[in-house]
Amino acid sequence: MPENTPSERPSPEVLDRAHAVIMSRIVETAEAPHYTALAAALDIDLAAARDITHTLVSIIPGWTHPGTDYLASFPPFNLQPTQYRISIDGQKGWFAQCGFEATAIRWLVPGKTVAIDAPCLCCGESMHIEMNDDGIIAADPPEIVGYTNQEVGGDAASRPFR
Amino acid sequence: MNLFRSEEHARNWDGFDPAMEDALRPLAAWAELFSNPFFTQRIRSDYISFMQSEEGATAFGALRAGLPKRR
Repeated sequence: MPENTPSERPSPEVLDRAHAVIMSRIVETAEAPHYTALAAALDIDLAAARDITHTLVSIIPGWTHPGTDYLASFPPFNLQPTQYRISIDGQKGWFAQCGFEATAIRWLVPGKTVAIDAPCLCCGESMHIEMNDDGIIAADPPEIVGYTNQEVGGDAASRPFR
Repeated sequence: MNLFRSEEHARNWDGFDPAMEDALRPLAAWAELFSNPFFTQRIRSDYISFMQSEEGATAFGALRAGLPKRR
């Protein structure tokens, strides 16, 4: 029997399991599972898995690509490339949702070193940061700052576009 | 929500809005703000339930209190 159907709001327990499955898959592979793979992992039907995908991104908050069921952002990660390239213990392949969320990726990989490589939006010159769950290991240049001209978290309607 | 090489670079960015000057903070300050349980606990297998718990709500309230405000 399916644990959930799209006519019901997903239970907290199934949302917990879905979040854990998606997050661990992204950490391991830098790719998010399609809802069909999520359905298999959770042993639920396809429509329920699609519904859970949309419910989850509305909570955490992430987003699907507009008009699709494809996960585009699952914080702290982005599945579409951004300027925030992430390496974990020297392995490349991930992107951060934004510059601030880049600093939170370390919490998902305890004991590992997360490197953030990004261009400065003002001049295009490179920045390099290394962090672990103890703090900032290195920053080049050391004067790096963060800034946003909008509400942190963003207006829900504009999330896919910011 | 971007990183810049320095405060001067952020101020020179064509998207800089003086009304959001409160959001111009050193990297270490943003890293500290993003050390709230809303972020650190994402590794939990019950993260959604945690964030909907009293403990999670308290953490989220603390996070919101630390976010920059528009002037």
